[in-house]
Amino acid sequence: MSRSARLLRYVLARLALAPVMLWLLATLVFLLLRLAPGDPVDALLGTRAPAAARAALRAQLGLDQPLLGQYGGFLIKLLKGDLGLTLTNQQPVTEVIGQTLPASLELGAVALVLAAVVGLAVGFSGIARAEGRLDLAARLYGIGTYALPSFWLAMVAQLVFAVWLGWLPVGGRFPPTLLPPAGSGFYLFDSLRVGVLSGQWQALAGTLRHLVLPASTLAVLLSGIFANALRLNLRRAMASDYVEAARCRGLSERRLIVRHALPNALLPVLTISGITVASLIGGALLIEVTFSWPGIAARLQEAIAQRDYPLVQGIVLVVAALVVAVTVTVDVLVALLDPRLEF
Amino acid sequence: MPLDAPEPGQRHRLGRSALARLLTLVSLLVLLGACQSRRDPDRLIVASRNRIDTVDPAGASTIGAMQLLSAIGDPLYAVRPDGSIEPRLAAQLPRISADGLRVVVPLRRGVVFHDGTPFDAAAMVFSLERFMAIGTLSYLLGDRVVGVRAVDSHTLELRLRKPFGAIPQLLSAINLTPLSPAAYRSHSRRQLSDRFVGTGPYRLTFFTPQQQRLEPFGRYWGRPPANNGLDLIALSNSTALFGALQSGEVDGLLSQSLEIDHQVALHQRSEQGLLVQATGPALNIVFLSVLSDQPPLNNPLLRRALALSLDRTRLIERVSQGLMAPLQGLVPPVVAGGTPQPWPAYDPAAARRLYRQAGYCGTRRLPLELTFRSNVPSDRLFALTWQALLQRDLGDCVELKVQGMETTTAYRLLGDGAFQLIVLDWMGDFPDADNYLVPLLGCEQAAGSVCRKGGSASSGSFWSRPGLEAELQRSATITGPQRLELVRRIQRQSADGSPYLPLWLVQPRMWVRPELALPRFDGSGRVLLQELRRR
Repeated sequence: MSRSARLLRYVLARLALAPVMLWLLATLVFLLLRLAPGDPVDALLGTRAPAAARAALRAQLGLDQPLLGQYGGFLIKLLKGDLGLTLTNQQPVTEVIGQTLPASLELGAVALVLAAVVGLAVGFSGIARAEGRLDLAARLYGIGTYALPSFWLAMVAQLVFAVWLGWLPVGGRFPPTLLPPAGSGFYLFDSLRVGVLSGQWQALAGTLRHLVLPASTLAVLLSGIFANALRLNLRRAMASDYVEAARCRGLSERRLIVRHALPNALLPVLTISGITVASLIGGALLIEVTFSWPGIAARLQEAIAQRDYPLVQGIVLVVAALVVAVTVTVDVLVALLDPRLEF
Repeated sequence: MPLDAPEPGQRHRLGRSALARLLTLVSLLVLLGACQSRRDPDRLIVASRNRIDTVDPAGASTIGAMQLLSAIGDPLYAVRPDGSIEPRLAAQLPRISADGLRVVVPLRRGVVFHDGTPFDAAAMVFSLERFMAIGTLSYLLGDRVVGVRAVDSHTLELRLRKPFGAIPQLLSAINLTPLSPAAYRSHSRRQLSDRFVGTGPYRLTFFTPQQQRLEPFGRYWGRPPANNGLDLIALSNSTALFGALQSGEVDGLLSQSLEIDHQVALHQRSEQGLLVQATGPALNIVFLSVLSDQPPLNNPLLRRALALSLDRTRLIERVSQGLMAPLQGLVPPVVAGGTPQPWPAYDPAAARRLYRQAGYCGTRRLPLELTFRSNVPSDRLFALTWQALLQRDLGDCVELKVQGMETTTAYRLLGDGAFQLIVLDWMGDFPDADNYLVPLLGCEQAAGSVCRKGGSASSGSFWSRPGLEAELQRSATITGPQRLELVRRIQRQSADGSPYLPLWLVQPRMWVRPELALPRFDGSGRVLLQELRRR
């Protein structure tokens, strides 16, 4: 069997397993949520309301049904692509996800691009002279950003740039004095479109102002991973036999690095990028909470506190499905780029 | 030559290049900073920590949602800061039949909904029936009202299950605000979470859980808003809120869920004239629920001793630097019947005598476990401070262990009698003594001094006494001085039993920038947003 056929078989197997994995995950989340003490009525009403009123509300929300019945209903709806209604405000779960997921994806994408640029530049900077000052600085940067608590960095950035200097907003995703642009939910894209179509650039400026602090904070934190990964892999590649052989053939250092070592060193970085993207799909909780970013991670946290079962289940399932899609895509990309990989 | 060894002159070029990059970055940031959209100075931004999931009065249950509803809707009656009742959409105070079972409410004429349709008795009937059918807090009406009907175009009649003296206060609940039947036709039995068509001074023109845009309603029947509109925003943490007011990004800040350190800092800044602080009526009580049906705290001597072991002044100083007021009753002092406060003050000598009488002190210490809600910072601080104070003053008599628990989990376990002592808070749905006494002391099924079913059991105390339920029921039906005396008696007798230990009152606050006029609160503890204005 040819390599491409084996790759196709591998991808199909991964995709075929995805529904089973999602079903197992859905079942697990369904059960765990109901095992946790307290239900949406406790979260909604606290200690108020007489027992009869609480029972009535439980019945109204369908929480008085037997667990098996609730599970069956959930699965049947799920098969039809219906994630149900939130318990707190009877809004379709898909609508909530549609509102919050783009926010997290937008923040994650911008942060990832910034992190990749900064991280790869830092990781690359020390390669010319191992243990030199630049290399040491790159290493310190990698360790430092990796070790920094995200909420601390976020709060310091907020304090300096928003409170003291007043250059950027403290939080939120869009200026409260403007109406967010309608469209895809990706404000950067939507406001750019508004700017191009109408010449009104206020929305884009507002979006960028709100994006700068959370995205750059997240980027700084992520860039250390890229920097370290590239630095280590590049050094390993530079010490390999094929680079040594090329050096003996008289190739310049620049050519050695750019043409021979770098492509091989970037392969593991691609895998790391995949994992980072997968983790960002679920949002960056601490960044979202610190900057009041209305993303999916912050919403999931609230939904758990509110014991909003359908919403938690829906968010976990959608995020899991996206993570599966991303990891499969990255696997395929790596396989296409690295002929040594076998399946 | 190593790759990174700079050639002569290169070091300066590198330095200049780095400097140029830094300057570009700073310029970009400054440019972005300058790109702020121009603001109408009379349009104000108010921030809080309140994410609002629904603006439907049937689904709203949080303080933030109630605050929003009070700006876009009108109740039939409003409670003034002094506790008196003011008709709003009602034309005058209700007329109650001789048997107390029929309440007639004349309605204001000339009022229109935000969609231009007229407000009348039929709209009020539609709204109340809808609330009773699908309201999260439907028990507010459902437990008391059998039915509603329109007597004529502007007269509403409510039929009650049993006489209820605090009807105007009940009808001041903002959840009972009328909705336009035309706008809610397709949502008569399901919630509409992101739109609102009522009669209030503002129209809701944009809604997300984090942001709401309010525009003055041109055809409002009352005094028009003093500002050109409001943008209400939710920031998810206390630090961000504090920073937003400091930096001038927002004009005002509501205190709900703001951490106490930030509240203290804002209070201090307002005392220095850097901000303006407004306070509302303290209707939120914080108390300890005492498990009174199981040893050792089924011993009234020990409950009484605990009541005497609370140094509220010192505790409040530590928890809030004096920002909260001590509480020695279950009914807040601003609510009729809330004074005098009958729980005893701190008296360690008297407490020691009682512990001794119960067989403790010296070689035997009373082991107790106090649970606090782990996501409420002031609860934790209280628990740790009280533990230290008890150790210092009564360490040979009591040994207090503290543990935190997530709020929803704690609420679920409360009715199972899981906590010897737990810190809780409570705010009545409308300012009336019954709203504090019945949920905490009510008991549908009692055996002697133990409550098996009812408010006392679900609040984790399980305490009752013969005749208490009858007194509570009577309190709901009577009015005037007779009722005040009954409320005071119920509180006095409850203080003797000490099933709860009142701790402090939480007063709502709002801070605004110094260029704004002093905000005002209504008697229900909500800011009158329509009065916010620049000086």
